[in-house]
Amino acid sequence: MDPVNGLLNGFAVALQPQNLFWCFLGTFMGTAIGVLPGIGPALTIALLLPVTVYIDPTAAFIMFAGIFYGAMYGGSTTSILLNTPGEAGAMMTALEGNRMARKGRGAAALCTAALGSFVAGTIGTIGLTFLAPPIAELAFIFKPQDYFALMLLAFLSVSVVMGSSKVRGFIALFIGLSLGVVGIDKAGGMQRLTFGVPDLLDGVEMTVVLVSLFAIGELLYVSSRYGKQMPNLNPLAGGIWMTREDWKRSWKPWLRGAAFGFPIGALPAGGAEIPTFLSYTVERKLTRHPEEFGHGAIEGVAGPEAANNAAAAGVLVPLLTLGLPTSATAAILLAAFQNYGLQPGPLLFINSGDLVWGLIASLYIGNLMLLVLNLPLAGLWVRLLFVPRPYLYAGILIFSLVGIWGVSNSWVDLAMMFGVGCLGYVMRVYDFPIAPVLIGLILGPMAEEKLRDALAAGQGDPLTLVSTPLSAGLLAIAFLVVTVPALLQWRRSRRIVEPADAE
Amino acid sequence: MTERPYWLAVAVAGWGAIVLWKAAELPQFHQYAGIGPGMFPTAIGLVMLFLGLLLALQIRRGVRFEEQGAEDVNDDHRVSYAALGLAAAACALPMVTMKPLGFVVTCTGCFVLVAAAFQSRSHLLNLALGAAFSVLCWWLFRKLGVQLGGFLPLAGV
Repeated sequence: MDPVNGLLNGFAVALQPQNLFWCFLGTFMGTAIGVLPGIGPALTIALLLPVTVYIDPTAAFIMFAGIFYGAMYGGSTTSILLNTPGEAGAMMTALEGNRMARKGRGAAALCTAALGSFVAGTIGTIGLTFLAPPIAELAFIFKPQDYFALMLLAFLSVSVVMGSSKVRGFIALFIGLSLGVVGIDKAGGMQRLTFGVPDLLDGVEMTVVLVSLFAIGELLYVSSRYGKQMPNLNPLAGGIWMTREDWKRSWKPWLRGAAFGFPIGALPAGGAEIPTFLSYTVERKLTRHPEEFGHGAIEGVAGPEAANNAAAAGVLVPLLTLGLPTSATAAILLAAFQNYGLQPGPLLFINSGDLVWGLIASLYIGNLMLLVLNLPLAGLWVRLLFVPRPYLYAGILIFSLVGIWGVSNSWVDLAMMFGVGCLGYVMRVYDFPIAPVLIGLILGPMAEEKLRDALAAGQGDPLTLVSTPLSAGLLAIAFLVVTVPALLQWRRSRRIVEPADAE
Repeated sequence: MTERPYWLAVAVAGWGAIVLWKAAELPQFHQYAGIGPGMFPTAIGLVMLFLGLLLALQIRRGVRFEEQGAEDVNDDHRVSYAALGLAAAACALPMVTMKPLGFVVTCTGCFVLVAAAFQSRSHLLNLALGAAFSVLCWWLFRKLGVQLGGFLPLAGV
């Protein structure tokens, strides 16, 4: 189906009253959890999975997409008004946006962030609309070895990009991979790493691991280091909305941010950190008011915020077309597709055209809803921050128990919640990135399947893995992704160490 | 910071060794596919052993571990082990009580423990709030089709 017809069909689906309702519910919840600490989009979707089994998949995914986009709007609101970036992508916004708020320009900062998110989110969604179908077609010619090479590249780049240390990134990835092999082996029916526990035969449940790592780990971590501080709100009243000057200084950063965010988000390494950081650096270089940077420059809010939202749209490209998740939220979305028995890829566009195009169309609608929800109501949303923390975190634990106990009423899941929760605590204390665990858990079994398919077709000859130009190229890139940064770091560290030794 | 958490490296390598040991019980090769069900776990175990070793080397060189930032965390990252213990007890409680006492009692207990971990001292109020919230959740999610077990298994309901 060509993109224009697909999109028109999609709007017909997304504009049905019940789907508009799900879209609104998703954007509403998304904004709320973006504002609230301790709970993010991935966790929310994981907790909603047991409930959404009973509703139509199209409606469920429209809601999830609303949560995914909405969390970013909510996150930018808190980072501007309170200097508490809820997620890594909002860090740069907090830097400049909060300075603007302190100078009484909070309203303008919120305005440029929301409009920039809208513009870039829409550009990103247009990119998704026209890029996804041809890439999905590409997947028809992918052989198992190409898939395996692509997944290997995703593994390596995710571990290298996320977090501060590559070793810790890889450890996180391999924890996920090792959890992924638990259960009955799909190809041969043998039990692997089940330790004789019948509940583990089906494998480790993605929801359980995600909820434990994010909710339980965060609960343990924050409770042990809890600092009682009332949110110190910067006054919104009296601030003026965007002036002509602000508009003139904002629109270019929005477009540049979108231009950085979407393609980088769509790469197998994905993530929103790099494009937001890149956008911030470029805006600081290009601005006519360099003296304002660090003291509340509007370009420093407009650019990164746009990049962040465009990257979110970009992440959906590999997810929908190839089934390749590159962030924690994308990993849980993939798990949700699997829950419904759907496999992202070219067949999804053919067999479930209504779902995919309805989802994409709902992204346009959701973006518009979010603009309306957030721009006039930002002052109301931040009131959510006054929820007493004891009740907020106790509530998160109870919702987690609904999510974990509700999956299969299994005691092993509860034990795993405690164990993996402790792991999440340790990972926070010693700064291990968390997303690679989830990506390893969900992509590991898929990568193994493709590897074995490829080898079976090649009668066990390992050279089949590099037999197509694509697989050879991707493996070469994967090799460079690991070795080049390591080499650079090694050279840099030698250069730093030598003068220090000489002193 | 001069902390040297070698136990982290031991834990990583130890988990790798366990994976390797369990993988060794499985056939490594397969007639057609070349690799059998044990090969992938074996590779994972070997890499984890290696990563544990690498982490130990980094720790020996004095690599820094900076705690991740989070909202609601105090500025100097002061640790209260009493609060951590309470929160951990709340997370461990379901293992003991979920099967015999049911969802509502368990969640009420969790609610009170977590609130206490976050320095709330009005335990009776928390108990009432927790019970009300747990009943509401149980009723609501049951309506939505989530199986959460009986209301009070002890009383046979």
